[in-house]
Amino acid sequence: MKLFDPTSKPVEHAVTLAPRPASPKGLRLGLVDNTKFNSDTLLKKLAERLARRHQMTVTVTNRKRSPSHEVDGAGIAALRKQADLVISGIGD
Amino acid sequence: MSEIDQATDAAALIEAYYEQGWTDGLPVVPPSDASILAMLSAAGLAGHEVLGEIAGRNTEVIADKAAINAVMAGCRPEYMPVVVAAVKSLCAPAFAYHGPASSTGGSAMVLIVNGPIARRLGINSGNNAFGQGHRPNATIGRAVRLIMMNTMNTRPGFLDRATLGNPGKYAFCFAEHEDDHPWEPLHVARGLKADDSAVTLIASNSLYQVYNQLAAAPEPLLLCFADALSNMGSPNLKGFNETLIVFAGEHADVLRTAGWSRAQVQRFLVERTKRCVADYKRAARMPGAVTEQDETTWRHVFERPEDILIACAGGRAGSWSACLPGWGNKWTRSVTTRIDTTHIDMSQRGGPS
Repeated sequence: MKLFDPTSKPVEHAVTLAPRPASPKGLRLGLVDNTKFNSDTLLKKLAERLARRHQMTVTVTNRKRSPSHEVDGAGIAALRKQADLVISGIGD
Repeated sequence: MSEIDQATDAAALIEAYYEQGWTDGLPVVPPSDASILAMLSAAGLAGHEVLGEIAGRNTEVIADKAAINAVMAGCRPEYMPVVVAAVKSLCAPAFAYHGPASSTGGSAMVLIVNGPIARRLGINSGNNAFGQGHRPNATIGRAVRLIMMNTMNTRPGFLDRATLGNPGKYAFCFAEHEDDHPWEPLHVARGLKADDSAVTLIASNSLYQVYNQLAAAPEPLLLCFADALSNMGSPNLKGFNETLIVFAGEHADVLRTAGWSRAQVQRFLVERTKRCVADYKRAARMPGAVTEQDETTWRHVFERPEDILIACAGGRAGSWSACLPGWGNKWTRSVTTRIDTTHIDMSQRGGPS
């Protein structure tokens, strides 16, 4: 008799991380709003605080179709091109 | 396929599956090479085939893993085509798996089976259609949940973040009562042919039964459903959600006798499921103070008649039907998938329960 493993591991893809910024000062900020209630409000306040502290500028904002959907390809491309740092949120 | 040597005693084997964390809390049927192969054969699958994927979660459902889980759930091989179609529905982009599978809302994956396969497998559509006692209902639904847990990482506390969950998360599968239906079956209403076999998947947070023993006309009967679907505690009151309504015998008779069409029922419910903005604000479902205008400003729960899925099942006796509100606004849509029955003998009918 033997056990049959019913589980699967996640499919692996090679991922290259973006270079880490040396300093937070003056970074271009991307916001990903998952459309949950108050997510836009929270992200806006975070962006204001980061602008005050580190002179960051919001350069791109992506509002997802829903919390259940991924950011689409065009959205990802815009974030990659226009942002040095991306904040996504929020949970329940 | 990984293998681990274990004891030969059946009870010890079942315990070993518990120890690995591979069960849903109930004992599983330990698979064998033969039972897995039989499951794959009944669906015409090779073990390596990909049944579906959730790209954003780096998840693929491979046929041999689905077959192992189906055996563990207690399925007979001929149930496998239904399980496969249900998995394809889970992986359909329109279903947007991440939300309904992982939300704190804790949805059941409700499976409605239509067409010849339902009769072939003996899937219960009558008395106690949502309850216990019928092997295909219990094990097909269970197989789908085990596949979610074991191959899609949808485990409680990990990528299943249900606050409470609901008992339908163990298994929720039933057939439509097509032989005693006021209208065309659900799969036909959704574009398939009557002799197609199909499974419709909808994620639902809850099931509540709707009672009315006096209504002899559609309007008062349906007002009970409209009220049930627009209660202030409903999570989806603000988002133009889908819902499933299951009419059972006596209520279906009221609608049939009155000559109401499915579309009439849907239109009536779209119109009557609404609340004024003042109600939303009093219950803190919307921010702000109540204004005079709020008392006469209405918000509808449903956007389109077809967002109200209507099925028929249950016993002939009793004044009960059910509402199963869908999860999550427009964030997920129900999905109907045709079932490939070409690899099983469809000339038989029913099966041991």
